[in-house]
Amino acid sequence: MKTRTKFVIGGAVILAVIIALSVQSLQEMTVFFYTPQEVLASPSKFEDKTIRIGALVQKGSVDWNAKDIQLSFNITEDGNEFIPVLYDGVKPDLFREGQGVVVEGKMKGPRFEANQLLVKHSEEYTVETEHKKNKEDYYKSIQAQ
Amino acid sequence: MASMKKTILYLEWGSILALLACGLWVFLKLPIETSQGFPQKIMYLHVPSVITTYLAFFIVFVYSIAYLWKRELMFDQIAKASAEVGLVFCALVLITGAIWGRTTWGTYWVWDARLTTTLLLFLIFMGYFLLRMSVNDRDKEARLASVLGIIGFLDIPIIHKSVEWWRTLHQPSTLFKVDSGEAKPSMPPELLYPLLASTLVMLAFYLYLLLLRYQTEKRTDRLNQLLAETQD
Repeated sequence: MKTRTKFVIGGAVILAVIIALSVQSLQEMTVFFYTPQEVLASPSKFEDKTIRIGALVQKGSVDWNAKDIQLSFNITEDGNEFIPVLYDGVKPDLFREGQGVVVEGKMKGPRFEANQLLVKHSEEYTVETEHKKNKEDYYKSIQAQ
Repeated sequence: MASMKKTILYLEWGSILALLACGLWVFLKLPIETSQGFPQKIMYLHVPSVITTYLAFFIVFVYSIAYLWKRELMFDQIAKASAEVGLVFCALVLITGAIWGRTTWGTYWVWDARLTTTLLLFLIFMGYFLLRMSVNDRDKEARLASVLGIIGFLDIPIIHKSVEWWRTLHQPSTLFKVDSGEAKPSMPPELLYPLLASTLVMLAFYLYLLLLRYQTEKRTDRLNQLLAETQD
């Protein structure tokens, strides 16, 4: 076989792999997370597969067990359809009820077992009147918690 | 020539002192943001770096087109200088973003559309300099780099719109938020004005670096030209 033919074949194989990988990662990239509705609509499709779900933390559903370092809460978009989530890990600083979160893990039956919990933050920035204080007051306030 | 030297000197000291003043202002005087607390302050480095990166590569785009059109070496020198400075600011965006992401999201990095397209921009312009280094002929280098500079810039509108087109971990725009046709940054004025001020100062600092690099680039090309002439 001529050297040139080898280069052409080798190049074609490498190119095909690059294209296949980028198409695959592009699909993953464009759907960074699913919504609870999408997951609940076709549970068989998502069973035992590592996925991300993005939604809001349902008000009144948070149960933080500091002794066993376990966090459980429901995620929802509209307050009606929700998925219970169990996360084995430390509660993030910015984790709050009503906050947007992205959880990564697997559906185990009706429950989602997360191994990663990411907290989204809003593009809205605010300064509350009682928060208009300087750095020292702020440090005191977090120490008091 | 002398006036150019003076401009560079004024820009250098003006922007460095103003950057220091902005830092003091942000850390000592600004109120604490309600939901994020103290880590929000990294915004005053992250967002100005983003806007400077956008501008730097826009300059690359404009001068690359100008070079292909007029074939004037000066245009390529400006494009090259701006790409170099832009690459540094792009790295700053990725680094400050990772630090901010760790404290707020809980991760340094995710492969969401905003972060991935920003990394892509960085890699494209790394490739831009590899391309320049691999070509020996100065005119050919300028021609090829101009084409890549134009293509590379096209990633920026994608980066900017990525948070609207795809589901991302990164939040949508705050500064460029538009509500029913009107620009409405979702930020109180006491946080917004320092951000605009730091952005202007960062742009002045960029201009200083650009002019400095352009001067060196011009001299390098002139020196190589003279060397080539003496060898003939």
